[in-house]
Amino acid sequence: MLKHLFKLIWNKRKQNFLFLSEILVSFLVIFAVFSFLTFYYQNYTKPLGFEYKRVWAVNYDNEGLTKNTDSLQIFYHNLKNSLKAMPQIEEVSLSSANFPYSNSNISTSLNKDGKRFDWVNSYTDAEDYAKVWNIKLIAGRWFNEDDKVTKNKSIIINETLQTAIFGKSSAVGQLLGDYGNKSRMKVIGVVRDIKANGDFWPAGNAMFNRSDTSDLRYTQNILLKVNEDANAAFESELYKFMTNTFKNSTIGIEHLTEMRDAKNEVTIIPMIIFIIIASFLIINVALGLFGVMWYNINQRKGEIGLRRAIGASGNSVSYQLVQEALILATLSLAVGCFFAVQFPLLNVFNVPSSVYLIAILLAVVFIYLLVFACALYPGKQAAAIHPAIALHEE
Amino acid sequence: MLKNYFKIAIAVLKRRKFFTFISLFGISFTLTILMVGVAFLDKVISPDYPDYKRERSLYVTTMEMSNSKQGWLNRSDVSFYFLDHYVSRLKNIEMMAISSNARSSNAYVNNKKIVIDYKHTNADYWKVLEYRFLEGKPYTQSQIDNAEYVAVISIKTKQAYFGDEPKVVGKYISADNINYRVIGVVDNVPKTLHGLAGDMYLPYTVAKDNYNKSELMGGFNAVLLAKTKADIPKLKEEFDQMMKKIPIPTNEFDTLYSHADTYFTSITRRIAGDGKDSGTSAVIGIVSLFVLLFLLLPTINLVNINITRILERSSEIGVRKAFGASSKTLVYQFIVENMILTFLGGLIGLFLSAFVIYFINDLQLIENVYLKINFSVLLYSFIACLFFGLLSGVYPAWRMSKLNVVKALKAQ
Repeated sequence: MLKHLFKLIWNKRKQNFLFLSEILVSFLVIFAVFSFLTFYYQNYTKPLGFEYKRVWAVNYDNEGLTKNTDSLQIFYHNLKNSLKAMPQIEEVSLSSANFPYSNSNISTSLNKDGKRFDWVNSYTDAEDYAKVWNIKLIAGRWFNEDDKVTKNKSIIINETLQTAIFGKSSAVGQLLGDYGNKSRMKVIGVVRDIKANGDFWPAGNAMFNRSDTSDLRYTQNILLKVNEDANAAFESELYKFMTNTFKNSTIGIEHLTEMRDAKNEVTIIPMIIFIIIASFLIINVALGLFGVMWYNINQRKGEIGLRRAIGASGNSVSYQLVQEALILATLSLAVGCFFAVQFPLLNVFNVPSSVYLIAILLAVVFIYLLVFACALYPGKQAAAIHPAIALHEE
Repeated sequence: MLKNYFKIAIAVLKRRKFFTFISLFGISFTLTILMVGVAFLDKVISPDYPDYKRERSLYVTTMEMSNSKQGWLNRSDVSFYFLDHYVSRLKNIEMMAISSNARSSNAYVNNKKIVIDYKHTNADYWKVLEYRFLEGKPYTQSQIDNAEYVAVISIKTKQAYFGDEPKVVGKYISADNINYRVIGVVDNVPKTLHGLAGDMYLPYTVAKDNYNKSELMGGFNAVLLAKTKADIPKLKEEFDQMMKKIPIPTNEFDTLYSHADTYFTSITRRIAGDGKDSGTSAVIGIVSLFVLLFLLLPTINLVNINITRILERSSEIGVRKAFGASSKTLVYQFIVENMILTFLGGLIGLFLSAFVIYFINDLQLIENVYLKINFSVLLYSFIACLFFGLLSGVYPAWRMSKLNVVKALKAQ
């Protein structure tokens, strides 16, 4: 039976060639859409790892501040105390510019036994991060006073980085080299991943540092965890307080909830446009396939009539036509999968292979369903052909 | 003859309404997306409020220092000092508009927070760029020299801060805890105009930080206005000569780049270029590749349907061939027919895109951006129709002309 169907397809190869290429291109488009969707969905289902609600970010220029590290330390110590004294503020943390949901990115490399690990997000001034963001430790401890005077600088890393460097074994207590592999850093704790780039992006590698005395000179951000009483009136007061503290600078206060929405929008809006365009393309293709199959069946009335006359049931005729369409789809999908499989094999865009494999699977199912749906009605119509009328036309 | 083809085409379209619907659906939707894309590109590229003099303007935005051996790179906006000390001395400049990057500050009115993006500018800024003043006027050089706390605000800021008050010139606006006297209100500027968009414009002399540090990198950008359009290449050349003479400030870096680009190049350089490469060819290449890929699926679909429809007309073709019509005539006829179909689809697409554009403007998907269909958009859409029609018509026409007379007639 299959052999026979192949023969039929081969006889019409010129016509089927276009049909095949259309399905092939559709498959690639659908594969792209599903790759994005799978990637975003996989990340979306992972826990956020921190709390952003009721966190405010204050940024300022540090130009007017003293350059003397000792007086700078006293300055920030006093500032933190006076902020904490406000009843609406629960926690205060200094921060480098690349705090979660900000548009800033500071990355570095780490070395372990001669192997380099790139693209590690490096959060400095992070000693109070745990309190403001409520980040969960899974091993070791958070920074404390002892870390001020250690021989090797203490750092905390996240789960992803631990897995990347140490595999399944624990990172706590281990030493890592910095980007030039010159000085050593000691891992004192491992925290759960935080999705700092929005809900749809992986956490990536991350490490947290205490601020050195020299780091404070570059600090331009303060994070505040406020309570429910913090309203716009309080924000206005806080704003005045900050402008008086940083005389030569412009102050900006942003709410992390809004920054998160902005971050997510950057992912969602292009995706929606992409999906709209892709779905129009697919509707277009579906209508085209449907039309061509319908027409072909009208062309093959004689053949179908003959089959019916020698005893084939209506069902078996429509079954044959649907099968033919599905075989054509299979041929295209085989070629399409060959291209699609290159993505996980070559590890394109550094995305986990599971994303591509799931996307291929979904795209294959989708195309089969599409072709099946498009062939169903024309097949039914073919089944309704009356042999006497069809043969009479011949 | 064309009239005949037109009649035939219409008759064919009427014959199988379902196929006509499929073809028109595919064509019109494809062209709608292209047209909306073109309208957007047109908005970004062609001169627009308040930047009407793009033809004789050059844009200086970035300064790049790199160490070619180590691969280090430092890129930032240019400094006021660079513009004031070096660029303003070029001979071919008529005027230079200097403005700082928009930075946001907050204002609080009636327990509501307003985010204000403000820019510091010089006095010539208001002459190079033609802002529409709904009220008042811009600040003058003497006001800048005296460092007066005056502000030109956008209509959006006026509405957010002052509410329904009809006239606000002379009133005070408190932003960043400083009171500025409002001396002018201007129309909103689209966010797509990277270097010009802002909610409040202030004299550069009132900036809180020291604006005139003698560094090359800072937070400013400039529009250089040449005297005539013909002076643009000269001005560019002069700018490049000047860049060669500027000493590199630290020995960490060995190359220094900054460019005076035309508007289009300044965009492509920001997207895909760097100090050495303007990125124009990369951007054009990627956009055309994307458009071609996007056109691929509807084209194959249309070719597929067209071929199906030709087979249906094999008897007509057979008869015409038997009476001596050459393949060329038939190809020509079919392409004309396909063009008619495409333009019909294009017309529907035009209505659809007018609808989509109305939607985009109405929802304000991009702040202060109002797309419109103007002559150049129509022209590009026409070219898109032509291209699409040819693309999808040539192969079926060729297949049709190859049809064997005997076979075609026998099929009846």
